Order: sequence, then structure tokens, then C-alpha cells
Amino acid sequence: MSSDSSLFSNRWLPLILVAPFMLLVVLFFYVPIFQAFYWSFFLERPFGGGSEFIGFDNFSRVLADPEFWEAGWRTLVFMVIASSLAVVVPLILAVAADRKIRLSLPARNVLVWPKGVAGASIGVIFAFIFNPFVGILAPLNGMFPGIWAPGLDGTDAFITLIAAHVWGGIPFNFVILLAGLRSIPYTMYQAAAMDGAGPWRRIFDVQLPLIMPQLFLTLVLEFTESVTSAFALIDTITHGGPGGATTLLVYKIYTDGFNGYDLSGASTQTAILMVFVVILTAAQFVFLGRRVNYER
Amino acid sequence: MNAIDTAIRAAAASITLAGITKSYDADTVVIPPMDVELKAGEFTVVLGPSGCGKSTLLQMIAGLERVSGGRILIGGREVQDLEPKHRGCAMVFQNYALYPHMTVGENMTYSLKVAGMPKAERVERVAAVAKMLGLSGYLHRKPGQLSGGQRQRVAIGRAIVREPGVLLFDEPLSNLDAQLRHDMRVELAELHRRIGATSVFVTHDQVEAMTLADRILILNKGRIEQFDTPKAIYHSPASVFVAKFIGAPPMNILPVTGDGSVLRLSDGQVVAEVSLSGSFQLGIRPEDIAMEGRVGDPAVKASLRFREDLGSHSILAADLADSVVRVATPFGADPADALHLTLIFPKSRLHLFDAATGRAIPGAFRAH
Repeated sequence: MSSDSSLFSNRWLPLILVAPFMLLVVLFFYVPIFQAFYWSFFLERPFGGGSEFIGFDNFSRVLADPEFWEAGWRTLVFMVIASSLAVVVPLILAVAADRKIRLSLPARNVLVWPKGVAGASIGVIFAFIFNPFVGILAPLNGMFPGIWAPGLDGTDAFITLIAAHVWGGIPFNFVILLAGLRSIPYTMYQAAAMDGAGPWRRIFDVQLPLIMPQLFLTLVLEFTESVTSAFALIDTITHGGPGGATTLLVYKIYTDGFNGYDLSGASTQTAILMVFVVILTAAQFVFLGRRVNYER
Repeated sequence: MNAIDTAIRAAAASITLAGITKSYDADTVVIPPMDVELKAGEFTVVLGPSGCGKSTLLQMIAGLERVSGGRILIGGREVQDLEPKHRGCAMVFQNYALYPHMTVGENMTYSLKVAGMPKAERVERVAAVAKMLGLSGYLHRKPGQLSGGQRQRVAIGRAIVREPGVLLFDEPLSNLDAQLRHDMRVELAELHRRIGATSVFVTHDQVEAMTLADRILILNKGRIEQFDTPKAIYHSPASVFVAKFIGAPPMNILPVTGDGSVLRLSDGQVVAEVSLSGSFQLGIRPEDIAMEGRVGDPAVKASLRFREDLGSHSILAADLADSVVRVATPFGADPADALHLTLIFPKSRLHLFDAATGRAIPGAFRAH
């Protein structure tokens, strides 16, 4: 950063101002990440007592493990379905709300609060809501016994996870998308109406193209977040079961590392997951980001 | 003249407003019942201060606002209950309202695309309009890459490409700087001469109104003050409101009383010899006030307050009978006495208005 700006004539002030944040990021993000990469080249003894450098042996071991690939595949499926829904559902709500509602500041705040609810709390709530005996789908089991059994059926458990994740993502994405819709000048709709476009057509020809920046932002955030935030949900709702059907990579890393004491394997998988997310996000910027029109 | 000019000229439709009114509730009446007839191919400028209801009027014709009562006929067809797209109107917005994510070409063809016109025909139509407006080289650009004047031309192109019966302009030049505004005004006048579309142009700029209009509709609080040619509006304003609204600086208005033989200002000076009695408002344009001796008309004394030299002429502001009158004089014409002015109000240039209603009293100074 050049210091030719007259706003900050003091050379050190900007650095001092960002220092606390930089310290946190380095201490709690970059150092652990670096450590994970570092350890992935060592074989760590589970109960301490040193480690030895083994090169890429950890990677070949992890990549040869079918369970890793299954968890990876599940992670990808969860990522695509859950994050798409977590954008599409709020989008529908936002388009509907934009039609009539003028949200006051308090109303917007109330809507955003659920974003602050910890993933574990959401998990506990949804474990109850989707409970096959007392939850909202319990009457279904009364009519067709066994149709909803997240404790036995992997798909049902997966659906529960996705529902919980989407629910948690709605408030933030809703507010971002609604703000995008609200910022579209009213004359744009009038112009489209004069051009003969009905309400339905205006959604696809005017509204969606004009909130591309907001859509892109929510999608990128959702994609990266779905990888990590699933942990709290899995840990409280399914514990990776039944039969590993909901074991995503984040959860597998945790159980491998802290239940199975395969510390090196967990580090290696963390490194792989990290690289995977970076590649995916980069791909989003390359393929989608270029099409985003920021002009108003 | 080519095909598209002829097509637009042929499509031009008349507009009849029969008792249309707009009110949001019983207390907020924006437009009381109004009757107006705009001829096919005519360029009408709706002029008025902000909040006078001129944009609402335009939006009701366009179909973007519902009418609270009355009928709108476009080309003899009742349209007040139809959707905008079925009214045959096109509109040019103040902020252009171009679709930022579409190219210039896509912006202009969007309405045709929605209407389901085949692509080949669309391309041909847009090419013709783009050529007319000098936009041929810009069809693949986005609006964000264009200058203000070019964007406004795209907005006009988008409107006329449909060959609409009526072209509506909602203060289209007010976002442009002074020079560009002048250029676009000339372009619009030329375009109108060429395509002859029925045009309704809303503005608060009297220069735009005077230069563009076939007829000017002056609105005040939703009511029509006067609807006439620019010349008639300037030379015989129908009310004090119109007199003060048109002209820069506007017409001087002074309260006078008539005793049956002369009109006197509030300080007793005689301004005109005329056999009228009662209270009136006397109007005279700054450029009509004379300062040199002229036989026949009485002279009044005023004291100079300040002068503005504008290059081509000077504006003198003088205190006269508790009012300030403005006098336009040729540049460099210095009054003999720098402070005390002798002003002559030629009788043929005076306008008389009713003191209570503000309406003009025509012919007051004739035949005496």
C-alpha cells in the first residue's frame, strides 16, 4: 500500500490500526493452516513422543482409502445441494418480499439474528423438528410407517442436514438479496413495463441480472461455508450416521484425528480439503465472477 | 426520409383526456378533473413547477399510474384501463433507465423481443434507428461505456424503435450539463420534425418548453393555467402565474389601483392613463420598460438597487413602490443618473390581471 494518500499522513498509523486484526488472522488461521500442511508430511505418534518425516506417505495412504473418497463425494453433494438451496430459497423469498414489503431497520435486524445462532443450536433444534416420533414429519410415519427414518435411512438423515443448513443460511442471504433488489431503480421496472415485459419476465430479464453481484457473493460464501459449517450440524444431529451416510470430510477429519488419534491422517485430509476449497472458489471467480456486471 | 420515419409518422395518434383526475385520498388531490386534446403529431410540452402534477399526468397517459377517474383516449381508443404495453406509448425517462446489463442494441430491441418479433426484423429495425440517431458504432457497447448524451440517444432510440403512437418524455434533459442540454434540445427538435411522432414532454425548464413545443400546457397545482403556443404564452399570459413563470427574468408584477382615469402604484405614482377603476395587478416584461423619454406615456421614478451585466444586455433591479422591478437594457447603456431612474411603461406592452383571481383581463389597454 502506498502512503501517498493525504488521508493518512502518518506512516505507521494504518499499520497499527490493522495490527489487531492481522494478529488474530495469523494466530488463528494462517498458523494452524500452515501447521496442518506441515504435519501432513510427518507421522505423528498418537500419545506424543516425537514424529518422523515420511514425505508423501500420508497422502498416498489417505488417497488410497475408499472412505476418504466417499466422504469427499458426500461433501461435494452437500456443498452443491445445500448451498444452492441456501441461495435459491432466500432469493424466492426476497423477490416476493420486494414486491410489497418495505422492511424497516428493526425488521431487518430481527431477520438477521438467526445468522448468529450457533450451528450446534440449529442442529439440536432440527434434530427435534425432524424427529421421526415427535417431529413435524411424525404424522407421515403414522400414515406410512417407516417412511421417515433419519436414524436408519441415510438419505433421510442427509435431507435433515440440508434442511438445517438451508434454514441457517436464509436470513443473511435474504437480507443481502433483498438489499440488491431494493437498489434497483424503480424507473427500471417502469421502463420494462413500457417495453411490454410482465412481472414474471421482469424477474428474469431485469431483476436477476441486476442482482448478480449479490447472488455471486452469497453463492461464494455459501460454498465455502457449507464445507465447514456442516460440522456442528452433523455433530448434533447425526454424528455422521447412519452407517457413515452423513460423514462429510470435516466430520471425518475430526473423528479420525480426535477419536481415532490418526493425527497425521487428519492433518493430511485438512490440507487436501483446504486445497479443494481454494480451487473451487477460484473456479467460481474464473467462471462466474467474470460474468458479474457491477454496473448500475 | 426512409421507411422507419414514415412508419412512425403514420403511427402518430391523438390523445384526448376527458375529465381525468388523480387523487390518493379525499384530501390529496393531485390532479382535479382535466380536459385536454392533443393533436396527432403535435409536440406538447407540459410545464410547471415541481409538484404540480406534470409527471403524474404523464404516467397516467403511459399507464404507469392508475387514473382515479375520467377517460384517456389514444388514437380514439379508450386506454385508461389497459396495461402500458397495450397503449402504444413509449417513454424516455429522466435517468435514461437503460438496462445496464444489456448492450445498446439489446436495450433498443428489448421491447421488440418481448413482443415476439423475429430476430432478422429486429436487427434491421434497430439498424435503421441507430443510424438515424448516430449510434451505429455503439450497438455492442454497454450503457456504462457511453456518455450522458449518448445514453439519452439510446433511450430515445429504444422508445421510437417500436414505432409508437405516442412518445412520452419525462424531463429527459435534466440530467445533462448545459451545453449538452442545448445540443440535445436541437437534436430533439430535428428528430420531431423528421418523424412527426405525437410527443408529450414534461419539464420545468421554460427554455425547453419555448423552443420545443408546438403548444405548451402550463400546470399549477394540477390545474391548467394556459394551453397555447409558446408565442401566445409569452406575449399574452393568461394569468399572473404564467406571467411570472415564463421569461428570464420573469415579468414584473406590481399592484395598482385605478381611479377611473389613471392607474396608480401603491406610492401614488401614475403608470398609465386608462379609464379603469378598482385594484389590479399590472404586468410588464423587463425588456419592455423604456428609460429614454417617450411622448405620451407617464414616467415613474425608481431608485437603482443593483445591476447585473450579462454581456448581451444588463439587468437593472430598482426599488419602485415597495416592489423591485427588473429592467433589461442594452449592454453599456448607462442611465444618466446612476441612482435615480426614470422608467416609462409603454401602454401597448402592459398586461392587466385581476387582483383577486390573478387571471388576465384581455383588451384592458386597447380602445382607449
